[in-house]
Amino acid sequence: MFSNVISNSIVIAAITVIVCFIISTLLPGIERKYIHARIQQRIGPILIAPGIMAPIKFMFKENVKVESPVPGLYKILPILCFIVVTCLIIALTPQAFAIPALSSLVAIVGLLKVEEICYVLMGALSKSVMSVRMPFPDQIKGAAHNNVTRSFVEDISSRRSLRMITYGSFPLYLALFAPITQARSIFLPDIVAYQQAHGPILFTVSGAIAAIVFFIGYMIILNEYPFSIIKAKSDVIEGPYMEYAAKYRAIVYLTRGFFMMVLGVLFSVLFLGIPPLITSWSFLINIVVALIFVFMMGIFSAFSPVFTNRQLLPTILGTTLLGVLAVVVGLL
Amino acid sequence: MDEKVPRSNIIETEIPMGTVHPAALEPYRVRFFVEDEIVQEAEITIGVNHRGIERIMEGLPVEKANALTEKICGICSNSHIWNSCRTAEIGLGIEIPERATYIRVIMGELERLHSHFLYLAHGCEVLSHETFSMRIFYLREIVMELLAMIGGNRVQYGCSVLGGVRPRCDVDEAKLLRLKNDMDAVEEGLTGFVERFLADSVVQSRITGVGALPHKQAIKLAVTGPTLRATGVARDLRTTMFEYDNFDFNVITQPDGDVRSNLVMRALESFESIKIIRQAIANIPEGKVVTRDWEMFDTDIIESYIEVPRGTLYHSYALESGRVRHCIIRTPSMANIGAMKYACIGEQLTDAQLCIVQCDPCFTCTDRAIEIIRR
Amino acid sequence: MGLKSFSRARAIHVMLVYTGGCNGCDIEIVNSILSPRFDAEQYNVFLTWNPREADVLVVTGPVTHLNRKPLEEIYKAIPNPKLVVAAGSCALMGGVYKNCYGDIPSEEIEGPVENIIPVDAKVPGCAVRPQDVLAGVVSLLPILLDAD
Repeated sequence: MFSNVISNSIVIAAITVIVCFIISTLLPGIERKYIHARIQQRIGPILIAPGIMAPIKFMFKENVKVESPVPGLYKILPILCFIVVTCLIIALTPQAFAIPALSSLVAIVGLLKVEEICYVLMGALSKSVMSVRMPFPDQIKGAAHNNVTRSFVEDISSRRSLRMITYGSFPLYLALFAPITQARSIFLPDIVAYQQAHGPILFTVSGAIAAIVFFIGYMIILNEYPFSIIKAKSDVIEGPYMEYAAKYRAIVYLTRGFFMMVLGVLFSVLFLGIPPLITSWSFLINIVVALIFVFMMGIFSAFSPVFTNRQLLPTILGTTLLGVLAVVVGLL
Repeated sequence: MDEKVPRSNIIETEIPMGTVHPAALEPYRVRFFVEDEIVQEAEITIGVNHRGIERIMEGLPVEKANALTEKICGICSNSHIWNSCRTAEIGLGIEIPERATYIRVIMGELERLHSHFLYLAHGCEVLSHETFSMRIFYLREIVMELLAMIGGNRVQYGCSVLGGVRPRCDVDEAKLLRLKNDMDAVEEGLTGFVERFLADSVVQSRITGVGALPHKQAIKLAVTGPTLRATGVARDLRTTMFEYDNFDFNVITQPDGDVRSNLVMRALESFESIKIIRQAIANIPEGKVVTRDWEMFDTDIIESYIEVPRGTLYHSYALESGRVRHCIIRTPSMANIGAMKYACIGEQLTDAQLCIVQCDPCFTCTDRAIEIIRR
Repeated sequence: MGLKSFSRARAIHVMLVYTGGCNGCDIEIVNSILSPRFDAEQYNVFLTWNPREADVLVVTGPVTHLNRKPLEEIYKAIPNPKLVVAAGSCALMGGVYKNCYGDIPSEEIEGPVENIIPVDAKVPGCAVRPQDVLAGVVSLLPILLDAD
């Protein structure tokens, strides 16, 4: 009887995760076709092209030798990212609330940090053909500074992701801690229970401010324009993902869509008190929240250029202050 | 501020980019020497697409050589064939019909429009602002269709020939009417874009004060064209060209020499081009478009300077029994390379590509020139 | 149609390599992808600048001496199956630049592109029209779909 309940809940949680994953593959297509292409007054790709068809296509491509000092580690990193994101969504399901190690915000923050550190490692390990390795007679007689160390563009991107770890992702974490100040607990079940009793945190002053901060943090951690300095096309081309080919690139593509979905679900858990549960109608709200986030991100990214450090610092500083305000208001 | 001083002389590392890079529309190699993402020095290597056009032109009959000059550049192809024909016309004393001059001016200004639109679109693309870039490309398409209508091809129209323009490129009433209507459409679209662009505070913060080129430095580096005018120096060769005698237009200048000045400069100059085209449509005289009564004779080296979208273009050659000798072509980007290197100094790495783009590089033009070392 | 061909037909990543033409073709190709008028993305053709991501390599220009090795390296970096579109008359036969020195082989021009990497589709034109480029890339689909 008891084991039956456990196995049932595991099955439900697994179905929830899989459904979330399937929906998440549509999100990049929605962003590209219905937001970017519409704003740019063109037809755009079909809905399934960027999110589903591109990864499947990459699955069928030949696996090439990766140009990297530690190819093994470099290849593991996207898989690690994917596992991290999967763990995140598992932690958010109500079935996992019974596991204290997973169901606290500390675990969520830790998992998000792993994701960010992966970018640093990816950038440092990628040695693409597009910069130093391009066969061009650079260091010849008469050239400037022949004895300087040479960096790949990915190294720059790696350094930028370090910078993003130190201050860039502050807003997101502050926003995550705003609900704690009201629920007075770092455990997700308590936060959800508090909201079911007192109404969603989103509709309080502190929650509303934190939601804005969360949205900006969401764009930062997804590296979407304008915060995409670690993969800005105008200088570092694709940054950490430069060397991924074939199935590893497919995983990179899938992770991005999945991550969009998971962060949307995270928002609905923390700010609306609705954990993803396939058996309940409230699951629709999770999907709608994820879609709203994708829509808003699409609109913002279509209308803004990439930020350099000059714009990034004030923006993040401002958002961080807003986040602090949210926490303070929540504490009062 | 007369001279930009790098913040320090420490060079931490070198980041090479190119020859294939998203921010560049053409192959060139650039090495940025940076300290903590601040560019201390930049080295641009051109010659990547050296093909030796002047060598091919040497010894060709002048008509063929004129057609070949078009292949120097796919952006300002009309300017090259125009100036090349003009060189021979000056040397041989050919009087070209008034109507041909007008058509040449129309083509030249349409080309300026498409070149400036390309510049704006490319600038927005390097800013990673896809939406603005696409809007400008959409406007540019109107101009491209007009060029195709007059010239018969979207790039490399072969409009000018010795003694006038190709009869194919003659404009009739219907074409003039379409030209007139499309100019209205372009002006409307561009006005909307410029208003939207200047009102966008995020974009403005990204481009204001970036890649500043003080005007003293600009003169010292012998910068030419809109890049020079964007630093506040009102120098436009069109004011001295006889082709433009009948046209009324303003020489646009901008004060700062940064990316914003350059972008705004191009946008405002496009309005002047529209104005010139409108005047040409209104006043175009009747008559033939090409004169065939001229004689070929040997000449000394002939020189001709015209103002093209990117600055001053120089063609020179001598004629020897109808063939081209001692051909030298100097394109505006050659002079602007110094400005590109200079503008990068002290900027963020992300802005550095923008600083190169702000000088409107056209290295395919430049890459057949010889380097002149001044001692 | 299997899943493989189905997915390949719905996501084509194109990389553009310019090898020293006159810029006309490059801009027309960028135009065909960035301009809403042509909008390559409606045919599920995406522009990328990363060789690891690309399926189709569009090459313009007569391949000047300094561009030969970069072109080879970029071609090598693309995982199979990969296809090459040579766009513009320079890429097809060296254009006006090929016979620079008459019968003496030119040191500057290594092209046409066929001499360096295998070419699957040729798009003629000086300069190529955006419609032709799109048609060229899309015409490669049958080969791309059948490749393993």
